Amino acid sequence: EEDDEEFYNSKELPDYACKYCGIHEPNCVVMCNLCKKWFCNGRGNTSGSHIINHLVRAKHKEVTLHKDGPLGETVLECYSCGVRNVFVLGFIPAKADSVVVLLCRQPCAAQNSLKDMNWEQEQWKPLISDRSFLTWLVKIPSEQEQLRARQITAQQINKLEELWKDNVDATFQDLEKPGVDEEPQQVLLRYEDGYQYQNIFGPLVKLEADYDKRLKESQTQENIEVRWDVGLNKKTIAYFTLAKTDGDMKLMHGDELRLRYVGEMHKSWAGVGHVIKVPDNYGEDIGIELKNGAGAPIECHSNFVVDFIWKSTSFDRMQLALRKFAVDDTSVSAYIYHRLLGHEVEEVLFRCHLPKHFSAPNLPDLNRSQVYAVKHALQRPLSLIQGPPGTGKTVTSATIVYQLVKQNGGPVLVCAPSNTAVDQLTEKIHRTNLKVVRLCAKSREAIDSPVSFLALHNQIRKLDTNTELQKLQQLKDETGELSSVDEKRYRMLKKSAERELLEAADVICCTCVGAGDPRLVRLKFHSILIDESMQATEPECMVPVVLGVKQLILVGDHCQLGPVVMCKKAARAGLSQSLFERLVVLGIRPFRLEVQYRMHPELSRFPSNFFYEGSLQNGVCADERKLLKIDFPWPVADRPMFFYVTQGQEEIAGSGTSYLNRTEAANVEKIATKFLKSGIKPEQIGIITPYEGQRAYLVQYMQYQGSLHGKLYQEIEVASVDAFQGREKDIIIMSCVRSNEHQGIGFLNDPRRLNVALTRAKYGIIIAGNPKVLSKQPLWNHLLSFYKEQKVLVEGPLTNLKESLIQFAKPKKLIN
Amino acid sequence: TSESHALPSGPRKVECPEDDEFLNALDKMVSENIQERMREPVKASNVDISVPVVLKSNKKTYDQLQDSADAERKTMGFVLMVRKGNKQQYKAFEADIDSELAQNLRDQELAQREE
Ligand SMILES: [Zn+2]
Ligand SMILES: [Zn+2]
Ligand SMILES: [Zn+2]
Repeated sequence: EEDDEEFYNSKELPDYACKYCGIHEPNCVVMCNLCKKWFCNGRGNTSGSHIINHLVRAKHKEVTLHKDGPLGETVLECYSCGVRNVFVLGFIPAKADSVVVLLCRQPCAAQNSLKDMNWEQEQWKPLISDRSFLTWLVKIPSEQEQLRARQITAQQINKLEELWKDNVDATFQDLEKPGVDEEPQQVLLRYEDGYQYQNIFGPLVKLEADYDKRLKESQTQENIEVRWDVGLNKKTIAYFTLAKTDGDMKLMHGDELRLRYVGEMHKSWAGVGHVIKVPDNYGEDIGIELKNGAGAPIECHSNFVVDFIWKSTSFDRMQLALRKFAVDDTSVSAYIYHRLLGHEVEEVLFRCHLPKHFSAPNLPDLNRSQVYAVKHALQRPLSLIQGPPGTGKTVTSATIVYQLVKQNGGPVLVCAPSNTAVDQLTEKIHRTNLKVVRLCAKSREAIDSPVSFLALHNQIRKLDTNTELQKLQQLKDETGELSSVDEKRYRMLKKSAERELLEAADVICCTCVGAGDPRLVRLKFHSILIDESMQATEPECMVPVVLGVKQLILVGDHCQLGPVVMCKKAARAGLSQSLFERLVVLGIRPFRLEVQYRMHPELSRFPSNFFYEGSLQNGVCADERKLLKIDFPWPVADRPMFFYVTQGQEEIAGSGTSYLNRTEAANVEKIATKFLKSGIKPEQIGIITPYEGQRAYLVQYMQYQGSLHGKLYQEIEVASVDAFQGREKDIIIMSCVRSNEHQGIGFLNDPRRLNVALTRAKYGIIIAGNPKVLSKQPLWNHLLSFYKEQKVLVEGPLTNLKESLIQFAKPKKLIN
Repeated sequence: TSESHALPSGPRKVECPEDDEFLNALDKMVSENIQERMREPVKASNVDISVPVVLKSNKKTYDQLQDSADAERKTMGFVLMVRKGNKQQYKAFEADIDSELAQNLRDQELAQREE
């Protein structure tokens, strides 16, 4: 046995040996075209063969067969169009002949002419079956051979792939070197001082930054076709589409891309621009506004390359905030300092003059728990306000901000992790007639929003007191450029105007990271409110906090989704826990808003009982949430909800993919169509589905298979749970997707995600899924039992829904 | 018992989060790549894909495999048609008798005979 080990670990292996396990039977190995590494078609102790493991984890897609293998040296490609992406390749056999041809699923295997040419079109099968390549392409090493080979685990495979991202020549042996395996230090509940706090969070921010950098910089795309345009601001805009890379990379407004011309019709050129349009339901094209359009090859349309530009700004700001928290004792008050670190401190109440009326001008009157929340926040240096779904969190926050300004004067700093959340709150605060400035990142100035007119860069343009600045601005707009003397003067005037506006403001609103903007650096904020704070990482929250806070209000709901951390190492170490959550664990009781105004009372019942200890009361009655004149076959008249049993065998065909779950997609389409036909507008409907793959499939399916006009379905929003957080729809249809136990991750297991999914609908919710499988999850077992008790667990055609008598699986123990 | 001492015949699957991640990522990759093809305006080219006549003449039928001489065979001969530029090339290979490929051919022939 030892001989075998040595054999597989020695460096004598041929270069076509599987980089994971060492197997080097020419019959059994394939080369990845991108990284030129070889892998075998055996799965060892994992559920996919080594080559498939590699392709999936490295996101590589093309392969070549070994010259001594069954087919000789062969690049796998579509006979017709030449595409080499093995994930879309398959084969069809000839009718009654022992001949086979490789064709891609779309469009080549779908063309009509095939039938006339004696091919059996319906017999198209993917080249990847049961998570390995078909054995007539690449053999599977014998079981004995596999046992003799290196026993690499999925964890080790993962780590090796990680190593290759930094060093393409890394080997299995490198995994054993010290340092490779080191996990970062876990976050704590309490910290001795700011230095310890920085020493723990600093490395985690670094990990996340490195991950983000690697991801962005590996996304260069070639052969891009460009359409040129000129914006209203006279800037050059380039439109193009990118091949979807993977779900990890979401392009956002304000991201920077570099466009390069590599053709021969023009001298080589490169320009950087901000993203002003991202792919959406209406079009997959991306738009960037060039920083400097002069010299751009606008007469050329093809032969462009797009690079992603990684910006360290947000990570730098977090690191800076951590540093400031550690060394600068004016960054926060002593009380806040100790509370944030988890030290025992006597609770303090501000002696303040509480107002008679707690409401704010032009905002709705507050209910009891909202009034208490405002009172609570005004009197304390640190408070947590928990706003379950639909409980008027934004109005409460806006009212708190209004009262803070009335009490202490300005400026109050108001932040949230996302621009959308900031805009929502900005709009509400503006209604109270306070002087609000919305500070946007420079890269987002071109992006329109409902509160654009409050943005600092727009307010400056409207300042009529400063005529010199106005004149220079006008000149710059008209000519596009100023002389260097004028430019200097312009910048100076603009800077002082900005400062003036900011200093005069009652409220300044920006994202958490935006609070690190140099334009705020000289300002001190006594009071800071952070909305949706459970969606920010701790270092992100610290960016505004260290601007001198003495009174900090965190608004959020730790029973809804937390921050997104991409680097798994950092997430595991605790970066994905929010400050709000840690403070709750530390024993600071969040003040909870208790009346929900969103959901039909029947819809709020389960979330209230299961996630909020039954404390959620209804501020709307059933009558206010009745769909008038809408004829929909709800199984129980007064309960606009049901679980639609979508059984059918799990189709683990081909590569075992979820896109084969057609039954559920078809059911969702039928439900959506029924609503549309009964008079519901598409924008009233939201479809939630956990996986990006299923989302794209549904969008396509409805558009092409739906019985109504495709345009109608286009306006139905289909998205992940995460995309719906913080928002509502009249009707929610939830497609759980074919679910085996493997797919539970990230969706079915997470109570917070389920909570968000169940609390988006105002008028009605329908869940489509397979109860047999779902009921294995304790959480879902509860939900299913509830639907069953309510007699809304149903099956059959929509026109004749019947209670389902299906038996649930026994749940695994609830670990929560 | 003797059973518990028996050597494993092959590696056994080990369940772990990393493997689950792989399963999810594969599912996602396949569906995304296919969806993307459906969205892209990829044109099927005009290359001739018709089944070559040359190969039709010397085809082997499933029946022939049932002949006594071939009874022991566990595989069946096939030809993969590939393209080098504009030229067709044929690569012979063996597929397992119980593979979908071989099964399908048999089904076809059975169906034809019934007609
Ligand atoms: Zn291997
Ligand atoms: Zn590769
Ligand atoms: Zn093709």
